[in-house]
Amino acid sequence: MSATGIGGRVSQFGSAVAEGWTRERFGLIGAVALVLITFGPPFQVYLFTDFLVVALFALGFNLLYGYTGLLSFGHGLFYAGGAYGIAIVLRDLGPIIADIVGAGISPLVTFVVGGVVGLVLVVVVAVPVGWLSVRLEEIYFALITLAFGMLGYSLIIQDPAGLTNGTDGVIVLLGTVDLGGTSIRIGGRRLYYVISAVTVVAATYGVWRVVNSPFGTVCKAIRESPDRAGALGINVRHHRWMTFIISAAIVGIAGVLRAGLASVASPGLTHWSTSAIAVIATVIGGATYFYGPIVGAFIFLYIRWAISRFPTLEAYWELFFGVLLIAVVLFFKQGAVGGLYLLRDRLFGEGDIGGANGGGGGAFDAGSQVTTPPDEEAKSSNGDVRTDRGDNS
Amino acid sequence: MTTVLKAEDLRKQFGELTAVDNVSIEIDDGNITSIIGPNGAGKTTFYNLLTGVLQPTTGSIWLRSGVEDDLADVTDAEPHQVAQAGLSRSYQITNIFEGLTVRENVRVARISHEGTRLDFRSRATGDESVEADVEELLDLTGLTHIADTPCDTLSHGEKRTVEIALALAIEPNVFLMDEPTAGMNPTEVAEIVSLIRELDADLDTTFVVTEHNMDVVTDISDRIVVLAEGAILADGTPEDVLTDERVTEAYLGSDSA
Amino acid sequence: MIGIADVVIGLSLGSRLFLIAVGLSLIFGVLGVLNFAHGGFYMLGAYVTLAVISNVIDNFWIAAVVGALAVGVVGAAIEFSAIRRLYDRVDSDLDQLIVTFGFVLVIHETVRFIWGSGSYSIDPPDVFNFSVSLGGSTFNAYRLVAIGLAVAVLVGLWLFITRTYFGSLVRGTSSDREMAAMLGVDVPRLYTGVFFLGSVLAGLGGALSAPLQATSPALGDQVIITAFIVVVIGGFGSISGAFVGAMLIGMMQSLGPQFISSGSIAIPFLAMVIVLLLRPEGLFGGIGE
Repeated sequence: MSATGIGGRVSQFGSAVAEGWTRERFGLIGAVALVLITFGPPFQVYLFTDFLVVALFALGFNLLYGYTGLLSFGHGLFYAGGAYGIAIVLRDLGPIIADIVGAGISPLVTFVVGGVVGLVLVVVVAVPVGWLSVRLEEIYFALITLAFGMLGYSLIIQDPAGLTNGTDGVIVLLGTVDLGGTSIRIGGRRLYYVISAVTVVAATYGVWRVVNSPFGTVCKAIRESPDRAGALGINVRHHRWMTFIISAAIVGIAGVLRAGLASVASPGLTHWSTSAIAVIATVIGGATYFYGPIVGAFIFLYIRWAISRFPTLEAYWELFFGVLLIAVVLFFKQGAVGGLYLLRDRLFGEGDIGGANGGGGGAFDAGSQVTTPPDEEAKSSNGDVRTDRGDNS
Repeated sequence: MTTVLKAEDLRKQFGELTAVDNVSIEIDDGNITSIIGPNGAGKTTFYNLLTGVLQPTTGSIWLRSGVEDDLADVTDAEPHQVAQAGLSRSYQITNIFEGLTVRENVRVARISHEGTRLDFRSRATGDESVEADVEELLDLTGLTHIADTPCDTLSHGEKRTVEIALALAIEPNVFLMDEPTAGMNPTEVAEIVSLIRELDADLDTTFVVTEHNMDVVTDISDRIVVLAEGAILADGTPEDVLTDERVTEAYLGSDSA
Repeated sequence: MIGIADVVIGLSLGSRLFLIAVGLSLIFGVLGVLNFAHGGFYMLGAYVTLAVISNVIDNFWIAAVVGALAVGVVGAAIEFSAIRRLYDRVDSDLDQLIVTFGFVLVIHETVRFIWGSGSYSIDPPDVFNFSVSLGGSTFNAYRLVAIGLAVAVLVGLWLFITRTYFGSLVRGTSSDREMAAMLGVDVPRLYTGVFFLGSVLAGLGGALSAPLQATSPALGDQVIITAFIVVVIGGFGSISGAFVGAMLIGMMQSLGPQFISSGSIAIPFLAMVIVLLLRPEGLFGGIGE
């Protein structure tokens, strides 16, 4: 791990890719796939963008659920917060920004400002909501977040401040950037996909860093035993609060992207049934894995799409996810990602893949089920897929 | 000898029941003190009061802060503040981070001790001084060979040892052990007793132990405190206490193990 | 100006809420399970009642009993086949909540599959289907019947829990499951029994409310959140708390809009947040109170 300079890193990356199914090879394939999607049919580009946004929503949610052990049924509040933040900036501040920076570039500037405002708004809401919510645990935490989410929903549709336009929501017009004759529509499917993909990848990397940091390690400890964490000098409530805020911020970024994708910030985003989407995606994908929510979101979006191809079944896609959700919790809590690991072990035998010794610099990571990336899983003591605590069904 | 932990007139009322009844005690460093007493004598409640899990009805708790001799009042402190002030504990029912590996368990405790728990930018495994401390602790407690094993696959005795490593990782002045040999077979008991002796010799930490197994108690204790019905019945060297008639009486007909 | 009709409507809304919430509360108090699907049970009760009336026998009371029992059987089957598997898990609370949420989706879609997405309504039974005029306002006499039945359920349930042998088992098990098991209580069977009872009450609520509302697949999702509010305010496991909480929310729904024009629907949620923070055990005591 002593490669110096960019050249060294590139060649190291190259050899890691060549060596087997390492994390680097998965990363390369993923990056290539993300680029190729840009040139797909418009609907597929849209669907994939949708997937990315839901994936980020679930990923943010899972920071609190899978990592810290708190189930929120109110993260729609922060999803909506991001969406309304950017929508209101676009509606009310668009002309002002155009006056300052000129009409040509103003849609882009407004978009960026709106995104930042959306994120700030979410954090401003999450600080007090989180501070109050982490006073409770378990089912009571689920209920108070549900209540906060529905409180937000009520306020958005009744609109006492005259900002949210009631049940209709706020229309989002991203506009067209005009640069000396070349005009680029920000909301164009392909460009918007690129913006979303870059944002989601960056945010995902951020979350990955957080969960592998000392902060994230403490989160996992709190999930396992809050009493023990407290007895070691960790301020459990404060740590949960900080996690709540980070989690909300990630969901807020997803909300900003959602507004542009749907061209509207609608009150339904705050409703508990939207919060439930994060729950469904995360549980189906496998809450104990970092990639669980992402895989779950993929399943959620693409199976829904596949079902919608059959007109007789189309209306009943929820039934499928209801059954899947029950089955996963009852029989296989590792979810889809756990299933993939199991499948890999069956097909290739344990430990054959990615046995790059010293590849990661973190043999310490190997046993922590949530963070275990594909190549390091094989290195954990006996290579089997870790189950969540207490789950022995 | 200096006092590291002091309780003054500590009292805990649960409705009509007085679980801990005006207990005053001073624990000096360098000793292994055992707190014994029949079931329901108030030992666990007493521990929960000392560690901030429960708030006393009346009375106060003092801990030696840092290296100096002055005591700090921790009566109203929360559990994490008590731990930060230098009081560590193990539980009667093993309480560790089951889903994490042994090494990760100890790392969490070191992160807490180093005060880097809110650092979300660097890698958890990236702090070399933390990693060195983790290795040293694993070595000290004889856990190196199972360092990367997930804790939920360990044996009962191994889990208890992990808990000791966790509690010591925050470098406490005082370590309260709640029934360290509970549920262990004779071999494991012998191992844990020799570990406690070793740790007592190697570290500056003062050990306070509640224990049912009287062989263990007589083996390791410099001082024995007997609790009965929430109050201190006897306090002294093992020879004095175990020949005290009142103690035999309190144990008669009850669980003397 | 508050009319008597507004009060009666508020109390009848409260009555239906009580029947959902009391079962929810009972199940949580004894089993420790927060049943997200309880609103679905309520909706199912209304649908089965409607189906029996239009296909089998044109008698509202028989249909309502059939509806309530059918829901009880569904509930007991769900407890027996799914929820039971989760009691021994470490973080069983959250798993139970997620599984019962799965049943929300399943029940919702099954109802849509069988009865379609439209809404149904029926007239109250002929005997009570007339208008009452009181103090210058009019309302349907059936509303009084619904209120009366809710009170009857409250009294009956209270007697059942405090005076019968089964009730003493329920109280004992809710306070200490291990101890009850040691004393020879067949805890798994008791759990299924309590789940059945709670489900019957939800189904009964749906059946009795069928003449007062439009029955549609969205009904379950709407009432469950309100039922959560009632249970939180009344206190988990408290029967009388569920009654008072339900009447409070029912009156708020009926009268609230007259006093506060905007933000009125936010008030119950605000109340829920405040009670959870300040008095998480609810405003009233535990089970049997």
